[in-house]
Amino acid sequence: MTHKDFRSFLTAIEASGDLVTINDEVDWDQELSAIGRLACERNGPTFLFSNIKDYGSQIRVATNPIATWRRFAVALGLPPDTPLRRLYEVYAEREDKAIPPILVNDAPCKDVIIPGDKVDLFDLPVPMVHEGDGGRYLGTWDLVVSKDAKTDWVNWGMYRFMVHNERLLTGFPRPTSHLGKMLLEGYVPQGRPMPIAIVIGADLPSHIAAAATFRIAGNEAELAGGLGQRPVELIKCETSDLYVPASAEIVIEAEVYPDRVAQEGPYGEYPGYRSGEMGNAICARVTAITHRRDPILTLDTTGFMDSSATTTSITGAIAIKRRLEKHQIPVVDVYVPPEGGVHLAVVSVRRGGADVAQKIVEVLTARRALMSKIIVVDEDVDVFNMAAVIHAFATKCHPDRGTHITRYQGRANTLTPAYSPQERIARSGATVAFDSTWPPEWPRETTPVRATLDSMYSPDVQRRVAQRWKKLGL
Amino acid sequence: MATEYETFVRDRSRVLSGREVVLTLRDLSPGRKKYRGVNVRAVVSRPPRPDEPILWIRSVVGLKEPDPCSVRIVEELPEAFTAEPYSDFFDAMEKAERR
Repeated sequence: MTHKDFRSFLTAIEASGDLVTINDEVDWDQELSAIGRLACERNGPTFLFSNIKDYGSQIRVATNPIATWRRFAVALGLPPDTPLRRLYEVYAEREDKAIPPILVNDAPCKDVIIPGDKVDLFDLPVPMVHEGDGGRYLGTWDLVVSKDAKTDWVNWGMYRFMVHNERLLTGFPRPTSHLGKMLLEGYVPQGRPMPIAIVIGADLPSHIAAAATFRIAGNEAELAGGLGQRPVELIKCETSDLYVPASAEIVIEAEVYPDRVAQEGPYGEYPGYRSGEMGNAICARVTAITHRRDPILTLDTTGFMDSSATTTSITGAIAIKRRLEKHQIPVVDVYVPPEGGVHLAVVSVRRGGADVAQKIVEVLTARRALMSKIIVVDEDVDVFNMAAVIHAFATKCHPDRGTHITRYQGRANTLTPAYSPQERIARSGATVAFDSTWPPEWPRETTPVRATLDSMYSPDVQRRVAQRWKKLGL
Repeated sequence: MATEYETFVRDRSRVLSGREVVLTLRDLSPGRKKYRGVNVRAVVSRPPRPDEPILWIRSVVGLKEPDPCSVRIVEELPEAFTAEPYSDFFDAMEKAERR
């Protein structure tokens, strides 16, 4: 069983040595985030800042809740040293065991209720995350609830939101995101504002579910229940019919305008760059804020190796595997290395070759194309062992025949740093599969043999070497 | 009124043309409301005029130009521009400029 709320998660990671509390005053303007950024780059801890310049100690800020595999494991209620492959397995098992949420009428997130006309977003210690960002980002590790205009589909997603003024937020859920789809296909044609709720500091499984790569019309609240092995408690918003996790620290209720825009971005994003994608976003007017007493604001210091990197590594890989299986690809394992900024996937297959590589790249870019590079390897390569993957890619991928490119319009990842500004505006891009498998038509007797201990030595020699290794104390 | 602002621009020649332009400014006054956004019709001068607030120009990837400008705010505009979600924000500003 996982931790019921964010505070009990913090207690758990403090016990495991993965939380550092800073009581000295820290500046919300870059300094706080820079400490979190360094932690991401050094596999460091979560920081809990309890004394923030201009704000004092009433509202604390916690950084990068699950930017390491140790903390991700704790978030799933597992020991912090759980092996990565096991984390993948547990996630996949629990994803299949959805648990419906339950509704409650009272919760700590309603301790303080601020109506829209009294809202001032600058009362929250919203950090300036990076020098040169377009503004202060409130939504970095959040959970945004929205509801389809025509059906009962409720979406939870993790989307960035920036403070424009006291009540106006601008945000960048991509137009190809589930929220973007709901807005553009449902509310904009009707000229109706779209209610949303930006949830900060809920239980970790709820945030993981929101960030997960999940199917259209999927129920992330049920997914969160499955991941946490307990039903998520939901409570109704004050100004809309949306329901939010009752464990939340802070809930910002708002309405997205169907006919207004304001400046959003630029922002240093999860691929590890600030790519200049500003200029095509959404804006929302806050209708109420509710929060716990002495709430904790969460921050993902977005960039290389942030919390979204670990989350998407697992959820993206499992979603890719399920999709490939659905299309009869002989997939064995999928790994999305967090160092790849959610642009690189490694896929192992029982039988490779050009046709399989081409089909993989087509399947994975059919609706929206987040990955731009896919390395396809044979099943004898452990996808979690990047040294083995690089070896296969460098040696087995034919520089000409091994490269399979598909190009697309209107569904490219606008955050891909390699794209030009023009490509980003048109959402045009490409994905390449690097076929690092042996062509299935090659006869076995002439296919190269890998010169590693497990491939080029008899089992007897391997056994004797292992014994000698052990005897030498190595 | 603030004494220092920044703005993000895609077409710097438009902003530095010496004519009235529509901009989103970020207020750089220290304190809780630092980086508050305001939409304005304004005239930008480089080199900066001594009696006007300083304006720093940043590119669309956030790079700050080394030399400051100054800004004379002619009119404060509504907090958002009329356009469908995901419309090009810079186009929306230019349309507001022509109104």
